[in-house]
Amino acid sequence: MTPTKLDVRGEICPYPMMRTVSALKKLSGDEMVLEVVTDHAPCLETIPTQAARLGFRTDIEETGASEWRIMITRTEAEDEG
Amino acid sequence: MTATARNTALALTAWATAAVVYGTAHAVDTEFSMFWVFGLAFGFVLQRARFCFTSAFRDIFLLGHARTMKGLLLGLAVSSVGFGLVMSRQVPMTSLGVYPPSANVLPLGIHTGLGGLLFGIGMVVAGGCVSGSLYRMGEGYVASWVAFAGVMGGLLVSAYTWNWWWDAHIATAPRFWLPHWIGHPGALVVTLLALAAVYVWVVSVEHRAGVIVPPASGARPQAAPSQTESVADDLRSTLRRLFVQGWPVLPAGAVLGGLNVLLFTAREPWGFTGEVSRWSIATASLFDAAPGPLAGVETLPGCVLVPSDGLVFNHMLFLVLGMFFGSFAAAVGAGEFKLRVPKRPVRYAQSLGGGVIMGYGSGIGMGCTIGAFFSAIPSLAVNGWVFGGFLAIGAWIGTHIIRRIE
Repeated sequence: MTPTKLDVRGEICPYPMMRTVSALKKLSGDEMVLEVVTDHAPCLETIPTQAARLGFRTDIEETGASEWRIMITRTEAEDEG
Repeated sequence: MTATARNTALALTAWATAAVVYGTAHAVDTEFSMFWVFGLAFGFVLQRARFCFTSAFRDIFLLGHARTMKGLLLGLAVSSVGFGLVMSRQVPMTSLGVYPPSANVLPLGIHTGLGGLLFGIGMVVAGGCVSGSLYRMGEGYVASWVAFAGVMGGLLVSAYTWNWWWDAHIATAPRFWLPHWIGHPGALVVTLLALAAVYVWVVSVEHRAGVIVPPASGARPQAAPSQTESVADDLRSTLRRLFVQGWPVLPAGAVLGGLNVLLFTAREPWGFTGEVSRWSIATASLFDAAPGPLAGVETLPGCVLVPSDGLVFNHMLFLVLGMFFGSFAAAVGAGEFKLRVPKRPVRYAQSLGGGVIMGYGSGIGMGCTIGAFFSAIPSLAVNGWVFGGFLAIGAWIGTHIIRRIE
């Protein structure tokens, strides 16, 4: 299953974090991963905390100049695997 | 060419340009060049640490995070000690009832609270305060340019209403300077204790909010344990820590506080909305829409509105442009400059609207998060605490507004 994607490039602070949280809350129970694309560095500090509070783990990868892909994975998915 | 080499070349070009501006300004007026350097330094530090005053207030309510607020509190503690020392030399006898000449001890009244409240709402809605917008303009955030234009508009509107505020409230409002009541040492001790109390409060907020994941190391690397081989390697890693890696927020707060003490010692505390209002009023006068004489402004310190004087250059212009350019040079050097264009039309509206509300608040409050707060609390003035308290209430209201326009 391809992960749900959320592109928040160009967004102003703090919407990259807020829209990520909304998207995580909307994921259905069998969706394990959300992929977020952002160019707003401050959210690299806020998203991991907000995701952890909702039961997700984050992996950040720099994909270009000031652009990042954040893979947010449900932690129970790992417990089962 | 590698990305690092390209960034280094761009940064060297930017700093060389800054040096040319310095030389030219120095030949005209040494105040110009000195304020240019201060502006560059403030802008550089703000960008390196992404020291956002809006997030300092907003994230307490939005996330239960106090990362930036802790840096801000440390900066206030450092500058309070420095300002306190300078002011104890300026006004050795506090019993005489005089005020230090350039400290931000401002008339305290409804305008202080309403100014702080509006500023707090506006900065959260716009996604950045005035200093935050300036450094993000240097990073390539298009919305911050819109917010800054909004601030200019809001300052102009406040200038149209200034004389009403002056007659109704500001002219008769008292100024409260703590050293008048409890002397210099007492005022400093009370201020530091109050800052410590705020620190305890924000730490308790963090604990109630639950887990906090420390900043990811991959995205913007902090200093790694060094295993360097030579002096050159050591120096290279120092340069990387200064110019490429992000600064932690605590040293950045302390450096901003220290720079503010230096600027206060040299001439006046850090602040610039008065200068930005001069630009607004000068622009309006081009269209015969200037607000006319502003009552009492020449009697007030700090970032009070500045009527257009018909001149283009003054020292404060170099401070504001220096902050923008210092951030730009810092961002290109670290490879963090990128044009960021919001896709949703509502973001332009909220940046502009938030900017206007902020601008109006800083007009009647006689300053922004810097002049009426970050420079006012170290002035040991009660108005700094009142403005800051209402900034927090405004930020809390602002977080409710932005949740509704996601």
